[in-house]
Amino acid sequence: MSLAEEPVISIAGLWMNYSDRMVLRGIDLAVYPGQIIGYIGPNGAGKSTTVKIMLGLVEGYTGTVSIFGRDIADGDAAYKKRIGYVPEVAEMYDSLTAREYLTFIGELYGMKRAEADAKAEKLMGLLNLERAYDMRIASFSKGMKQKVLLISSMLHDPDILFLDEPLSGLDANSVMIVKEIFASLAARGKTIFYSSHIMDVVEKISSRIILIDGGDIVADGSFAELKEQSKEGSLEGIFNELTGFDKYRDIAGEFVAVIGEGARHE
Amino acid sequence: MNDFFVLRLLDRLQGGFRRMGVDYPVLRSILQLKLTMDGRRTPTVLAGGKESKQNTDGSPFRIQWIYLLLGLALIAFVVPEGNYLFSMSIAFGIAMFMISTTLISDFSSVMLDLRDKNILFVRPVNRRTLNMAKSLHIMIYLFTLTLTIMGPSLLVSLFRQGVLFFLIYAAEVILMDCLILVFTGLIYLLILRVFDGEKLKDIINYVQIILSIGITVGYQLISRLFDMADLSISFKPAWWQYFLAPVWFASPFERLLGETRSSNLTVMAVLALVIPVLLLAVYIKLMPLFERSLQKLAEQGVGGKDSGRLPRRLSEIVCRSKEEAMFFRFTWSMMRNERDFKLKVYPTFGLSLILPFIFIFNSLSSGKMDAVRNSRAFLFIYFSALLMMTAVQMLRYSTSYKAAWIYKAIPIRETAPVYRGMLKAAVLRLLLPLFVIESAIFLWLFGVRLVPHLIIVLLSLLVYSVLCFRLLPKALPFSEKYSAARQKDFTGSAFLQLFILILFAGLHYLVTLIPFGIYIYAPILVIANWWIWSVSFSDAVSEPRQIPTLRL
Repeated sequence: MSLAEEPVISIAGLWMNYSDRMVLRGIDLAVYPGQIIGYIGPNGAGKSTTVKIMLGLVEGYTGTVSIFGRDIADGDAAYKKRIGYVPEVAEMYDSLTAREYLTFIGELYGMKRAEADAKAEKLMGLLNLERAYDMRIASFSKGMKQKVLLISSMLHDPDILFLDEPLSGLDANSVMIVKEIFASLAARGKTIFYSSHIMDVVEKISSRIILIDGGDIVADGSFAELKEQSKEGSLEGIFNELTGFDKYRDIAGEFVAVIGEGARHE
Repeated sequence: MNDFFVLRLLDRLQGGFRRMGVDYPVLRSILQLKLTMDGRRTPTVLAGGKESKQNTDGSPFRIQWIYLLLGLALIAFVVPEGNYLFSMSIAFGIAMFMISTTLISDFSSVMLDLRDKNILFVRPVNRRTLNMAKSLHIMIYLFTLTLTIMGPSLLVSLFRQGVLFFLIYAAEVILMDCLILVFTGLIYLLILRVFDGEKLKDIINYVQIILSIGITVGYQLISRLFDMADLSISFKPAWWQYFLAPVWFASPFERLLGETRSSNLTVMAVLALVIPVLLLAVYIKLMPLFERSLQKLAEQGVGGKDSGRLPRRLSEIVCRSKEEAMFFRFTWSMMRNERDFKLKVYPTFGLSLILPFIFIFNSLSSGKMDAVRNSRAFLFIYFSALLMMTAVQMLRYSTSYKAAWIYKAIPIRETAPVYRGMLKAAVLRLLLPLFVIESAIFLWLFGVRLVPHLIIVLLSLLVYSVLCFRLLPKALPFSEKYSAARQKDFTGSAFLQLFILILFAGLHYLVTLIPFGIYIYAPILVIANWWIWSVSFSDAVSEPRQIPTLRL
């Protein structure tokens, strides 16, 4: 990967505030094809806001966000044809069957109905859901819903994938499959923008880790690079150190103390 | 997914859509999907009835017979000649009530669907297509509903009252739809700006309840509707009529076709035209604000205040053990918060409140009020106990029935306190307020001589509540998923319960025949209460010692 290559995502001076507070304070970022970005930070750091801005879900920011070399504020939604998105909450039209939902999503991306249907059916089969394909999504378990969500984000062969906790609810075997899928997609030049709270996974699959805290990027680099800058050996440790959180022992201690308070019940 | 008739109709207009910058294939698939999903919801009017079978794709806007019935009833108002102001005001009043409450109760979830944002906005769909899809969807719904309710009377009016009447009527129906839609939208906007999403959901819930009460009660009165249409009340223009939208809509008929020519009428006729158009303009202006406010629905509300003092005090007074008091408070707060429970039970509350009076007034037509006053018509008050039949049956259901794993996880030794606490909470929260309101009106109707009788009624109803509970299969409070299919299992016990209720009323009647009978009957009932409340819940009676199996 050469840095002379055109970035697929470039963000410059991104500020965003909701009515009462600043959420993003000047994010600058360039993402290149083939990268798997682990986008991490504490709750409320501005992770989802960044992703939502890039998807055009949130307006009213300042700064420029360009995707595939075009400013997304120009009002043309066409860039979304090459983007896939897995939101944090598994929101779907769940009174539909998986077939109905997935072909519909395919059609939104401009695919032919039959083509979307055939492709979705194959993908469902590969994830062991062939029998659920004509069942209503409302009856699915959490893991099954997550798989449908993953398929709906990749059905149209996007160039960028935005994933928010994409592995939640999946069993260990499915996690292995999905991680492998991400790696192969990245090898084919796709970009994956991945946010999660599970540091072990981020540490293993990301080629580049971006840590934001309080609306600012506080660390950016591969895991090896981050480890060099820090005295901690794990991403979890680095996360704690950079977000200035060192009180976990005290809080846990107090928590346990409160549990033990009061008279014993029988 | 069905290929809907409306879609094939729209296909003919696709050239027009293209010129407006709408992506027609995408518009079509969004609409098709939305219509399919509508077919899988249960409308409020039918919520009490059968549930549609799981995998049939019903046409989304199946003509609901109940609306058609109402539509046929409205014919009565377009038949009489003259006196248009009165008859058309009533007709528009009924139509506006039905259409707006139905729109709010059944279509709010569609108008306020937050998933649209996450699912559709992230896909390459332009805003114009999305907005068009949303507007068309609402229009299709409103059009079908309006046609069912107004269609029959429109058709009859053409033949009976002539072309001019028909044209005014048709134009006004469109204006009325406009007014309802925009007004609803603006109300939502206002609520969302001032309160939060939870409040809005509560308000929608109350509208659903009002609709259900309106339908159940209206059903009892539908025969009287025809009498009303024949009434020739001369409707004098008055200032307060300016605030009644149905009167606006009725004025053009009177102004153009009737005999009255007052300037008031002209002004109101103009209002009927101007207000909907004006509000529509405001609404379009505020549309972006509406979209942004919708986001509030997803936000977490700020913590509510602790409203647990009343149930805490009550539970201390009426419960024997700590466990019983605990489940009393649990049931109390679930009944207060669970919207589904309220939707199923509160309409019955309204019906139970009114039913005794409907019976009384039906017997009134045969005699004078004085005759009723001295009769034993007060025994109709027993019908208010219908509430307990429904409430006890509904207490087992919850939308979050899966949370019932908690019963398995906590160490409760026996189930008796659970059931006793549950039933006491239902009696205190539902039956007692109903009884107090009912008694107050009965005392006013029948005089103070009724006091001892009311005490008998209360004592009987308390025994009856336990019987209701015992006649139904046991189920822990809020532990099952509501399914209409299972409801059928209860039909048998419902008849038995009704029979017992009539038995109680009959006993009461017999006792009134004996001199001083009620003074003997009252102590008997007190003992019966004491006995049945202490015996019914203990595990010796409830056969399985352990917790009933949960259907998760």
